[in-house]
Amino acid sequence: MMAELRTEEFIVNMGPHHPATHGVCRLMLTMNGEKIVKIEPVIGYLHRAIEKICENRTYAQCIPILDRFEYVTSMSCNYVFSLAAERLAEIEVPERAEYLRVIMLELNRIASHLLFYGVTAMDIGAYTPFLYGLRERELIIDLFEMTCGQRLTYNYIRVGGVSKDIPKQFVPQCRKAIKIIGEKLTDYTGLLNENPIWLERTKGIAVLPADLAIAYGVSGPVLRASGVQYDIRRNDPYCIYDRFDFEIPVRPNGDCFDRYMLRIDEIRQSIRILSQALDGLPEGEIRHKKVKDATFKPPAGEAYARIENSRGEMGIYLVSDGSKKPLRVKTRGGSYNQLQVLPQYGTDMLIADLVANFATLDVIMPEVDR
Amino acid sequence: MIGKPVLLAELHGLFQWLHEKLQATGLSQTWVDIITYATLGVIIFGVLSLIALYLIWWERKISAHVQQRFGPMRHGWHGWYQTVMDALKLLQKEDIRIVTRDKVVFFWAPVICFVAAFLAYVVMPFGDRLIVADLNIGILYIMAVTTFTIISLLMAGWGSNNKYALLGGMRSAAQVVSYEVPMVASILTIIIFVGSLSMMDIVKAQSGLIFNWYVFRIPFGPIAFLTYIVAATAECNRTPFDIPEAEQELVSGYNVEYSGMKFAMFFLAEFVNMFTVSAIAVTLFFGGWNGWDFIPSWIWFLGKTLIIVLLLMLFRWTYPRLRVDQLMEFAWKFLVPVTFANLIVAGIFKYFGWYW
Amino acid sequence: MNPLKGIRELVRGLQITGKHLGRHAITIQYPEQRWTMPERSRGIVVLLSDKETGELNCTACMLCEKACPTAAIRIDAPRDEKKKRHLKQFIVDHGLCCFCGLCEEACNFSAIKMATKYEFSSESKEDLVWDIKKLQELGRDVPYVDTRKKKKEAAKAAAAKAAPPKPEKAEQEKPNFPPKPESPSQAAEDNGRTTGAEKEQQSLQLGDERRQDDKEGQS
Repeated sequence: MMAELRTEEFIVNMGPHHPATHGVCRLMLTMNGEKIVKIEPVIGYLHRAIEKICENRTYAQCIPILDRFEYVTSMSCNYVFSLAAERLAEIEVPERAEYLRVIMLELNRIASHLLFYGVTAMDIGAYTPFLYGLRERELIIDLFEMTCGQRLTYNYIRVGGVSKDIPKQFVPQCRKAIKIIGEKLTDYTGLLNENPIWLERTKGIAVLPADLAIAYGVSGPVLRASGVQYDIRRNDPYCIYDRFDFEIPVRPNGDCFDRYMLRIDEIRQSIRILSQALDGLPEGEIRHKKVKDATFKPPAGEAYARIENSRGEMGIYLVSDGSKKPLRVKTRGGSYNQLQVLPQYGTDMLIADLVANFATLDVIMPEVDR
Repeated sequence: MIGKPVLLAELHGLFQWLHEKLQATGLSQTWVDIITYATLGVIIFGVLSLIALYLIWWERKISAHVQQRFGPMRHGWHGWYQTVMDALKLLQKEDIRIVTRDKVVFFWAPVICFVAAFLAYVVMPFGDRLIVADLNIGILYIMAVTTFTIISLLMAGWGSNNKYALLGGMRSAAQVVSYEVPMVASILTIIIFVGSLSMMDIVKAQSGLIFNWYVFRIPFGPIAFLTYIVAATAECNRTPFDIPEAEQELVSGYNVEYSGMKFAMFFLAEFVNMFTVSAIAVTLFFGGWNGWDFIPSWIWFLGKTLIIVLLLMLFRWTYPRLRVDQLMEFAWKFLVPVTFANLIVAGIFKYFGWYW
Repeated sequence: MNPLKGIRELVRGLQITGKHLGRHAITIQYPEQRWTMPERSRGIVVLLSDKETGELNCTACMLCEKACPTAAIRIDAPRDEKKKRHLKQFIVDHGLCCFCGLCEEACNFSAIKMATKYEFSSESKEDLVWDIKKLQELGRDVPYVDTRKKKKEAAKAAAAKAAPPKPEKAEQEKPNFPPKPESPSQAAEDNGRTTGAEKEQQSLQLGDERRQDDKEGQS
């Protein structure tokens, strides 16, 4: 005769304040004992009405506003908007500007992935890699500061090109920085990759099946870690990425470890692209002559531009009515989809696994809330 | 049987003088003993508190330099009295009294934790003839006394009137209890060869060459040391076993409702515990206070203990955290079989006399 | 997993962190030590003065005010009989400024610059609203490249090369932007900034001026 134990489900609130830098995201967890039964993300704590603000700003003024759309990879935000405006106005960007853009975008990707490395390690309990990741990220941020003056929100890539030319010491310093980062990567991976505790915490945890990922529109490293070979730099090429020789890393399993390793592989590929770009940097103009900040007026129409950001597909759908200000700027960020897919596969695990899972998804809340 | 207390050789004369003076005043023997032991207790307590404060500073500096930054720099040279200022700050913080029916339990939990941490030093051999009481059940006494912390964890979890604190407290208690088994088994591996539980005898059995130290007696020595150090890290609730203290796991630990001085007591007790387990490791595996004669024995002891403490700190700042069920799995499915196998091997070695 | 391999990897982790113990720290002790900022670093907004005469370079062309995405710049420059503007008040609200540098890029007269100073925190929002005196003073020791001279020399050289198209060239040099109603100014209006009473009065006055101005521009 077996008596049925009555268990109650209770709600734990992983509140908007987080010890890690994911941003302000609230997760309402319904738990049955130790296991999570349901996750309900509550967003909107970082909503700043960026899209609405952009409707009242000229194209040049939109760029610093959109810097804050995803402030960890601000160059990508600048770039995707400029790409949309250039597609609308059918402007050709000079060669040197394209090379500079690629250099900045890839440097920003490395910086973002280094931050991911640090934050993920910290969430899972190893505190030191955070400082190591940020130490290398400083090298990249110093390069940005030298070029455009800011460390986080750059306002550098403009419609028609870039705003300032790189100073003389940029190329040698950049080469040195990527050499150091390449060497230090072996240090970091030695610290964590084969560590049995790390493997216990991340291998086989929170597997995201490929069909679920595709159904929810997940893109970027999370999609590629589930085995789907899809990278906008190859599938829908933009800028001059078709000139560079690099691989798109793909991993089969879709667990936390694969998502982590994939981003480390991506850093290596970005270093490859960077060395090729630095070698092939031509001389020339850095901005299209006819485009002036104050008077840029694209013809009426609409354009969608999407790029491969560190977090997935970042897109801007631009509608113009022929005036100096855009009619509608619709932003699309990769983190939004990844947060949406989290409740679908993130249940039936312990809170510790949820923390590891959420960390490896690399969700940045400004992209979700805008 | 409590042996006669012995102290630092320089102070020995002073202590004898105190003892004789008290006896000469005609007080009964009981009173003389009470006064002398109380003085000794106060001295040991003072020394250990200083060591605990110093260890906190040491931890902050080590963690900072591992991360290529400086750590405390402002209070004193490289921040040496930073901990004193922190203690003063905690003293003047508001002591939040939570709404709970079990006020007694809530109040006494940090006290018990703190006291239990210090009780182990009654039998700790600080140096040659420097031990408060050389009990003939020395190591058994230490094992018994360090188990008091489990009660205080449960009391803290229960008295906090907070279901997450209760969960955290129970988890901590389960962790500490589980890791007691491999710890005791590793200690037992060494005791087989010593033949006595007294701490002084353990140290004396390792006198002579450095290869007399138990850690070098292959094959059971290093394995016993490794299992002991892993179990000791878990006993102190340190990473990689620091689920009770983890901030990222939102169901937080037993000390979530404590503020001010009560929190400071838990915190200090953790560092004193860390020193205790390192001291036991040094006594059992690294020869205690044995060393060359040109440096006093207590400096040897202190130095070796600090190196083991450094090892524990490096563990914290290098390794990620284990999940709670992985932690328990590791203890019961890996450590316990390994330590018991080691024990059997050591037994076989002792029986056949295959040791020097 | 193989226990020996596990132990080896754990020891490797300890080696990596252990070797950092011997390295020097890469941080500095602020505020006793400070990094020197790169020259393009975007810090506070300052108004530049002529190196010889010490007067402001600003000609009140209002380009920076139009370029600012957050309406942090408020200029009071009424027109005289000849429809030329004279600078009366120049306010930059550093609480609104997003440090994008668009004002610096818009200026053709080397009048406004983002200096490298970044330590300007204050204890109230009102203290972050700086007027023309403070901006000029902060800008006195900021080194800058005077592009007006370069432009003048370039214009002279171009004029010397080809005499007939001289008037056209001169016109091209002048920035010619029609004063249309810009919503950042309106946004500045609608924000309802809670400054001190005096400053509120000032901002309302400026708003009135601008509204009149815009009406003129439209008509």
